[in-house]
Amino acid sequence: MKLSDVFWETEDLVSPGLSACPGCAAELSLRTVLRILGPDTILGIPPGCMAGAGAVGWNRLSGVKVPVTIPLLDNTASLLSGIRRYYLRQGRKNVKVVAFAGDGATADAGFQALSGAAERGENIIYICYDNEGYMNTGFQRSSTTSKGSNTSTTPVGQLSQGKTQHKKDMPLLMALHDAAYVATISPAYTQDFVSKVEKAAVVRNGLVYLHVFSPCPTGWHFPPEDTISIARLAVQTNFFPLWEYENGRFRQTLAVSQPKPLAELIRRLGKFHHLTEAEIADMQDWVNHKTELLTRLFAAREDLAP
Amino acid sequence: MARIEALTGNESAARGAALCRPDIIAAYPITPQSSVVENLARMRANGEIDAEMVEVESEHSAMSVVQGAALAGARTFTATSAQGLALMYEPYFRMSTLRLPMVMALAGREMTSPETIWGGQQDSISVREAGWIQFYVEDNQEILDIIIQGYKVAENEQVLLPVNVCYDGFYLSHLIERVEIPDQELVDQFLPPRRAEHVILDPQRPMAVDPMTPGHLLMKYRRDHLEAMQAALAVIDAVDAEFGRFFGRRYGGTIETYRLDDAEVALITIGSTTGAGKEAVDHCRAQGKKVGLIKVRVLRPFPEQRIRQALRNVRAFGVIDRSVSFGWNTGALYQEVLAALGRSGWALPSISFIGGLGGADITLDHMLAAAEQVLALAENPRYDSPTIWLD
Repeated sequence: MKLSDVFWETEDLVSPGLSACPGCAAELSLRTVLRILGPDTILGIPPGCMAGAGAVGWNRLSGVKVPVTIPLLDNTASLLSGIRRYYLRQGRKNVKVVAFAGDGATADAGFQALSGAAERGENIIYICYDNEGYMNTGFQRSSTTSKGSNTSTTPVGQLSQGKTQHKKDMPLLMALHDAAYVATISPAYTQDFVSKVEKAAVVRNGLVYLHVFSPCPTGWHFPPEDTISIARLAVQTNFFPLWEYENGRFRQTLAVSQPKPLAELIRRLGKFHHLTEAEIADMQDWVNHKTELLTRLFAAREDLAP
Repeated sequence: MARIEALTGNESAARGAALCRPDIIAAYPITPQSSVVENLARMRANGEIDAEMVEVESEHSAMSVVQGAALAGARTFTATSAQGLALMYEPYFRMSTLRLPMVMALAGREMTSPETIWGGQQDSISVREAGWIQFYVEDNQEILDIIIQGYKVAENEQVLLPVNVCYDGFYLSHLIERVEIPDQELVDQFLPPRRAEHVILDPQRPMAVDPMTPGHLLMKYRRDHLEAMQAALAVIDAVDAEFGRFFGRRYGGTIETYRLDDAEVALITIGSTTGAGKEAVDHCRAQGKKVGLIKVRVLRPFPEQRIRQALRNVRAFGVIDRSVSFGWNTGALYQEVLAALGRSGWALPSISFIGGLGGADITLDHMLAAAEQVLALAENPRYDSPTIWLD
């Protein structure tokens, strides 16, 4: 479907008036995802921003207009596996069973269940909106919080410069589970976003994992109207590269020919205001290392081709 | 025609579950429950059952998978023990509070620490306030039969609650006994397929399940849950009677009494120690001592009225627990019985006996000694008897 048609011809299956913060990338992404997946979808939204914003709402009056429940923080992939298995058993293969989970429910508490479901090849679509922390409860640190972030559990102080570890690389971990389809998604690149969700919708041979970069104006401290430009900058600095993985192959879906310095992104986010030049250089090194690793994985596609 | 086979308790549980035609089974191995999963997996591999099996990575996921399937309308089954039950507590509590019917076999095991893998009832006793119906059974036939009865109770629209069938780890899980296996056709008549009505995740009937709920509504859900528990008391008795008409065996519903009619004192047991208890009663009776027995078959909901009724003519009683109540310095069932009496403004001289923890035996001698203690208490009534350890 042409991009303009996607938004012209599909229904917004999220009620107006969710109580998400202004500029929330997660709400925007949820609306786009449901437009593409359509009404034949069952949604699990574990505790986190989107559940807190009311997406698990009362029967079409608020929330979403598809069947929806709130799994526990740590069992989303397992609960949805059970739902999907029963639909497969009934021969209703077209009912899509979809998680829309934050990074805490994905990379921290829910990681074991997700890892198990991926290993078993459960045919669910698991979407993580990564806003890099427990944002609806005041930005506590998660394992996908960027190094140096000033969070409420890694506050900056005389002895602290924020979180001391780099973020956990969830999409790469899921690719190494040999999930059926893995992709990184940015709300700033809508065509790429839409085509990846369209692809995910028809996967039948295992688990789909989509990792959405989800800038959070409230927690990261930037103006709400900058959400999309922040998301775009994250891609253009190679901080959040766009790629996909299927059939054992990694593929870059958006090439960044002249990456911008990471400092351009860091300087626009309040959570990083305390960082020194040396600390920013350290983060640039990490991004360079990750970029090199991914470049080799993209190249491995040709090297390993039969 | 029903078939007779020699089965372990775990085999009985697996066969009972299979007869109920579950749609989805998810389980994780743990001693002493593992052969329940293994037996079901073998039946699946041989095409003897039609269920989907999900080989999960933990008990937390086992309960979560069956919860998802039940939310989609499936009949589900799982089994576990001790640490597995502890790990699954989070979705376990939610299964009952979502009012999702299912049956879970629990091969009872002592809770660590000290490190142990052997039998005890502390695991299931510790979750008696998690909203599940809890049956405790005496032998392998009862395991199989109560799994079938359990689905009928759980799916009753007055109840809609999940059911634990608790049987003693090793004492029953690994014990081989004669078990009568009913015909599939007869079980199908007794137990029609599940019809999920009150909560369902289905695009054809879109609904939001479990949105954020304010306190005044949550209170209503809790009150309904408590009322369903009370309604279950009569349903359990009725299902047992109906089971008797179908299969020729019945168990007395929520409690069973043994030689109690003219008894002066009663022993109260739960689970497989009932066998030693009945044997002790027979020995006492042979010596002219009027001892009877009450087997508590259902701990949740607690059969308060039937317990009071059963105790109305005795002068003293003793409760044999295979678990402890940490804050009371007694067994757990003992406190339940005291509460049932106390709520009617009634007291009887009584003793709490604790034994059989961590796989320790409760022998006939233990039971005979307990009976003697209670007989002596009836002669010299007091209300502050110290707890007696059967060690």
